[in-house]
Amino acid sequence: MLRGLKAYLSQYIELSAADDLMLSQLLEVRTYDKKARLTDIGETELYLNFVLTGMLRKYFFRGKEEIITHITPEGSILASGTSFFTKQPSKFIVEAIEPTTVVSLNHDNLEKILSSSPKWERAGRLLVQDFFLDKEYWLLDSIRYTPRERFLHLMKERPDLLQRVPQKYLASYLNIKPETFSRLKHLMLAKKKSVPAKK
Amino acid sequence: MNINNLSFQDIVEYLQRYFPVTEEQAEMMMGYCEMRHFDKKVVIVDEGEVDTYLNMVMKGLVRKFVRKGKNEITLQLATEGHIIDSDISFLKQEPSLVVVETIEPTTLVSLSRKKMDEALEKMPGADRMGRQLLLAMFLKKDERHYKLLQHTTRERFVEYVHNHPHMLQRVPQKYLASYLNIKPETFSRLKHLVRKSKS
Repeated sequence: MLRGLKAYLSQYIELSAADDLMLSQLLEVRTYDKKARLTDIGETELYLNFVLTGMLRKYFFRGKEEIITHITPEGSILASGTSFFTKQPSKFIVEAIEPTTVVSLNHDNLEKILSSSPKWERAGRLLVQDFFLDKEYWLLDSIRYTPRERFLHLMKERPDLLQRVPQKYLASYLNIKPETFSRLKHLMLAKKKSVPAKK
Repeated sequence: MNINNLSFQDIVEYLQRYFPVTEEQAEMMMGYCEMRHFDKKVVIVDEGEVDTYLNMVMKGLVRKFVRKGKNEITLQLATEGHIIDSDISFLKQEPSLVVVETIEPTTLVSLSRKKMDEALEKMPGADRMGRQLLLAMFLKKDERHYKLLQHTTRERFVEYVHNHPHMLQRVPQKYLASYLNIKPETFSRLKHLVRKSKS
């Protein structure tokens, strides 16, 4: 069950049998239907979630428009982060795009794990460092790349998303107009057909 | 590092804005830091260089920007008590995508990457302090990211000027406009509106 999580954590720490036991005692498995909300606006985020299967998105409303900041498939972590760490009401919604199973850790248990040994202290620092770096890359990429470049990067890095995620979500995530997204997709598909052997 | 008592009190206060730190811990940290002085308009880290320092501004003003064609997009304006570096470059020891440059003559308390690694090795509680600092920086970035997406141009302007009234005097207008993602003409117009409503 926890194999995916262990693979993820092995970037930061060498897990012992005792660590496995501690994790299995402190983690909660939660299952959601498609479109179910894990966290709503105004609620305090209680959990950091690792996606075992399925896919989540995180978004807020600008007027009536949904602005998506994260699309998170199996194998990575998502939460309404600022709410989780500051215990303030969430400005974001965390919602399942597909039927989704997550393993979740509450704040107290996260602290318990991270302070359990020097190697967990180190892993905690590196984990938060990656949260921070992801945010910095996101900001920087939104500035230095054109919509077309952002589209091409996503298609290169996560080609499966085009099948799994409604197009309007992807457009919002990339901060591209839906019409532009559609045009870029057709251009890409037409190109693939006409030059099949390239790369 | 040789610092007088007055600056040390400032350092403790500045650090406490980021995370709960005792005087004793601050003193230990300062043992790994050095003081650096720069004239105005000096490039501290250039695009393509690897950033070897994490800095806290003791006095002065520093800006971080990314070049986009002929434009410079301002990402951060750091005054007394703010932490500034080329984050990704410093943490990953990769060539910098951004430029860090002084606007005013500036004094920094700087932690080199080498000394940071040494502190993480030797200093008790260093991993935890590092995590708390990174988390605070992450939360700041998350807030800014949200505001850039959520707020209108006018809201961004009004809130910023309200919270940082002195910055209009200290920072060239074009940098502020770029930081808030507002066109220079619009920025100018909004500034006049604020003046009028005050008188």
